[in-house]
Amino acid sequence: MKLRLWGVRGSIACPGPKTVEFGGNTPCLELRFGEKNRLIIIDAGTGIHPLGNRLVWEDIQDGPISTEIFITHTHWDHIIGFPFFRPIYIPGTKLKVYGPITFEDDSLEKVIGDLLRYRYFPVLHGELTANIKYFQLGECKMDLGDGITLKTKYLNHPLLCLGYRFEFNGKILCTAYDTEPFRNIFSTGENAVNIDHITRAEGEEAAREENEKLLNFYRDADILIHDCQYTKEEYFSSKIGWGHSFFEHAIDSALAANVKKVVLFHHDPLRTDRELIELEKYCIEHMNSRSDLEIVVAKEGMEIEL
Amino acid sequence: MEYQHRLTILDHYIRQLPPFPATVDKVMEICSETNTSPMDLTKVISLDPVLTGKIMQLVNSAYFGLPREIISPVRAVIMLGMNTVKNLVLGATVLNTFGARQNFRALNMDLFWEHSLGVGVIAKLIAKKRNINNKLLEGYFIAGLLHDIGKIPLNSKFSNEYMNIIDVPEKEPQPLFISEKKFLGIDHTHVGNLIAKKWKLGKEISDTITYHHAPETYQGLQHDILFTVILSDYYANNAGIGFSGNRYMEDLCPEATHYLGDSEELSFKDIDAFNSEVEQEIEKAQIFLKVVG
Repeated sequence: MKLRLWGVRGSIACPGPKTVEFGGNTPCLELRFGEKNRLIIIDAGTGIHPLGNRLVWEDIQDGPISTEIFITHTHWDHIIGFPFFRPIYIPGTKLKVYGPITFEDDSLEKVIGDLLRYRYFPVLHGELTANIKYFQLGECKMDLGDGITLKTKYLNHPLLCLGYRFEFNGKILCTAYDTEPFRNIFSTGENAVNIDHITRAEGEEAAREENEKLLNFYRDADILIHDCQYTKEEYFSSKIGWGHSFFEHAIDSALAANVKKVVLFHHDPLRTDRELIELEKYCIEHMNSRSDLEIVVAKEGMEIEL
Repeated sequence: MEYQHRLTILDHYIRQLPPFPATVDKVMEICSETNTSPMDLTKVISLDPVLTGKIMQLVNSAYFGLPREIISPVRAVIMLGMNTVKNLVLGATVLNTFGARQNFRALNMDLFWEHSLGVGVIAKLIAKKRNINNKLLEGYFIAGLLHDIGKIPLNSKFSNEYMNIIDVPEKEPQPLFISEKKFLGIDHTHVGNLIAKKWKLGKEISDTITYHHAPETYQGLQHDILFTVILSDYYANNAGIGFSGNRYMEDLCPEATHYLGDSEELSFKDIDAFNSEVEQEIEKAQIFLKVVG
């Protein structure tokens, strides 16, 4: 299994002199499996644009592109690159798009397809020449063929958001973005006085169990790609409930779940190269209590072979 | 009217069972606020048997693919987030409205609601008293809240006949479910079972709905919840907590009294002592929903 990161930034693309090294594109992961070099894409942030170009320049020589895109959730930074994914304009391309959507709201096809409307874009979704199919996903296990299995798990984000766990040839790759620790929302805030102790205890138990389930989902992963939009200080001062994690939490989760390598991902758009270099150094020197855990900060263009 | 024809009418109605009007107003109010408190959201769900059942149905549906278990509103909010649960609640509410209060002609809607809530509260108090694991308490409440859910379709779709059925004990002393069966060919435990199946409610809840008037025939494994609700129902009826149409209570089944009453932790005196707590809970709920008592 091979992984290439085409976009590692959260919220909004942020090119510029301060993000040259780690990159400014929003999430897009390229996974390649086995001798067939089968392609699976996670998310269609702006990083999918250069990926699409690469596919059109190189892969298409071996025949029409056939792939699956697993969308973690439909916030803009994870889908906005879709209209710029060149294979969708090429006849013969076969694309399956999977992702979670809000219950009884618009379909996944409409949520993503609406990016291609005249008010936003000069081409309509209906004019695309590729064969594109959309599938709503919840928590599930899927056999993707070629020995690849996929498990999905809801994360903790203001919108339904799925983590993906791919297993292939005894190797495990897991994504955990966008997410923050589950917490007992029945214990704090101005309404706390109205909350009886049973509800509070139930909330406590539920949050603890959900965090435990997440650790089980990451368990023994060779690679865990984890949200780390904030520092601990930023998170606790004003970002609780925004659906993103902090460095310490990502690393603690990796440690607790016996992960081999954690890739810190989904950087805040204001985070500069210099800050990320310092944070990476700090994480490695001060947060790693287990010598066999490898910690890396995600960088656009980074390739990892499992 | 033929039994089959009645079943068709009920089946159609069950598909779109609407929440209580008193809750609908509060649901709309809570869900339109941008900064809804999680406590208000879960409370409004817990106070309505229909909404509670529907949320459990949705949370346990294939849509989310979650492992099937009793997922209380509190748990659902933590697992899926406020926005998702708000959306589920609105979805379950907007799809259909109850119509006017006159749909509840035979049973008084507010009293029926009070009975359902009362049985839920008592069941939870009994379970607490018996040191049942905190994690399971919500299941006792939900089972109590939903035990008579089958009466809603009967009352709404066959309201003239149902009025007469409720009055039967004036001439002939017999429990409501017997009269229902005699005059409509179907009783509320059967209708409740249809709802439980439609909503895919877990065994704990669906068995309580189905067997709360026939515990002696029960072969399943959910005795604890079933007997607790039977006892709570008996108590609520005797104490006059709300009214669910039953003017003649059958005797408490000995199995339930043995099972629960012989325990060291619980005596009938304890249940008497719940009275003020139950009244308080109901009053708090009425104020919350602005139900005129």
